[in-house]
Amino acid sequence: MKLLKIWRTFKEGLKNFSRHRWLSLATIIILALSLYVVVIPVFLGLAGNSIIKNIQNKMNISVYFNPEVSEEEILEIKNDLKAYREIKSVEYISQNQALDEFLASENNDPIITQALEEIGENPLLSSLAITAYKPNQYEIITQAIESSNFRDKINKINYKENKKYIEDINEIVTLVKKAGLVLGFILLLTAELITFNTIRLNMYSRKKEFEIMRLVGASNLYIQMPSIFEGIFYGIGAAAASMVLLFLTIKVMAPLTQELTLLAGILVASFQLYFQYFWIIFAGITALGVALGIASSFIAIRRYLKI
Amino acid sequence: MIKFEKVSKVFPGDFVALEDINLLVKKGEFVSVVGHSGAGKTTLLKLIYAEEQPTSGKVYFNNKDISTIKKKRLPYFRRNFGMVFQDFKLLPQKTVFENVAYALEVSGKTNQEINDEVPGILDIVGLSNKMEKYPEQLSGGEQQKVSLARALVHRPLVIMADEPTGNLDPTSGWDIIQLLVKINDLGTTVILATHDKEVVNKINKRVVALGRGKIVSDIKKGKYIL
Repeated sequence: MKLLKIWRTFKEGLKNFSRHRWLSLATIIILALSLYVVVIPVFLGLAGNSIIKNIQNKMNISVYFNPEVSEEEILEIKNDLKAYREIKSVEYISQNQALDEFLASENNDPIITQALEEIGENPLLSSLAITAYKPNQYEIITQAIESSNFRDKINKINYKENKKYIEDINEIVTLVKKAGLVLGFILLLTAELITFNTIRLNMYSRKKEFEIMRLVGASNLYIQMPSIFEGIFYGIGAAAASMVLLFLTIKVMAPLTQELTLLAGILVASFQLYFQYFWIIFAGITALGVALGIASSFIAIRRYLKI
Repeated sequence: MIKFEKVSKVFPGDFVALEDINLLVKKGEFVSVVGHSGAGKTTLLKLIYAEEQPTSGKVYFNNKDISTIKKKRLPYFRRNFGMVFQDFKLLPQKTVFENVAYALEVSGKTNQEINDEVPGILDIVGLSNKMEKYPEQLSGGEQQKVSLARALVHRPLVIMADEPTGNLDPTSGWDIIQLLVKINDLGTTVILATHDKEVVNKINKRVVALGRGKIVSDIKKGKYIL
């Protein structure tokens, strides 16, 4: 198709768009709401993910050694553990370090300091703090340590205490991902159907025009092009509108959720994500909107072209 | 130029629109196709510009079997014809100028060519002072003249008019017919489908009469005899 024809059909599309401005507005609003509804769970899922990732990074298990085990032996074990491919990092915490940390956490409470002096020796154990790559790997790591050749030197592993917590987070991540995926898909389908129907009505009101164009000798593509451009305009308009909606949602919701720490955290993370990835999100929504607009226009108009 | 060879057209529900039609239209002829409503006039025209395909038999245009034209080429094939309809079929949201220009735009003519050709054609049909008006601001006769201008502007080989006077008062109708005759005098083949007796008798050119899907008479300088 020649550039001249593309330019003409573009102008025609723009004219149709502004001429049927109420129909265009209605189409844009519906498309914008559809996009908004699709993006919200994806967005919350992303934000939730980033929080969970944060928590996961801070999570670890501690292996405590019996008091008689020497530092050299523990460091040797540390080197062994480093070879595991599930293990991201191993940190040695000596008895003294453990004591310092404990005292610091108790704000150097004089009663505790006094009690420790009474005992005369450091009651804490040295330990290795192990961080895995994924939360579901702690189970395997614990089993490996429990059946290792240095198991006799181990006093306790605090994995069991953390286990519940880790499992909870694991569950949330999987749930968020699954729910987001299923919900997103259903909503996308609904959005496509609604958009398609709106555009179809729009085209129906103009079916006589298409017939005339055909009889005058216009090729089907030439008749379709303006509508395809209109689809692009719908997509861009709807994407911009849904970005504004998304912004308003986060802005209005944030103060309402102060009490619910997890939700508030998600919203704060959303806010950061929104600005950090503004253009990527905008481009994504625009692409989705334009694709919906084009596909709907293209299919809707075919009915009237006897293709 | 246009040849029908044993053409029949049966619509779903066994409705026979045309039966065993043999017809030859030569270049530069003015042919009036007459008959009552439902006699098959419109179907005959539709077969020529390939809006319908015959159930049996063949239709030739310039010795080419129309049924062999690929769907993709149909728009180009249709540019051989100029069409005028009873209901004008103008684009309501375009001005007179734009309606006529559209026929040139679709074939990729430049703006320069369009600006050269359209005013000339509108002058021929006598509407050069109404170029910026919209169809609804015109009378029926004027709208039909716009439609005729649009049919003419790309210099088609054949003008086909399907009941062009059906919605017009006798005076406006006769204006349109006179324009068709004038166009024919300049060498364009014209096929006029009508049931307007007076019009046909006044033109005094070839008349093909259809009755129940068959050709019942074909007379060189004919009168409407049904």
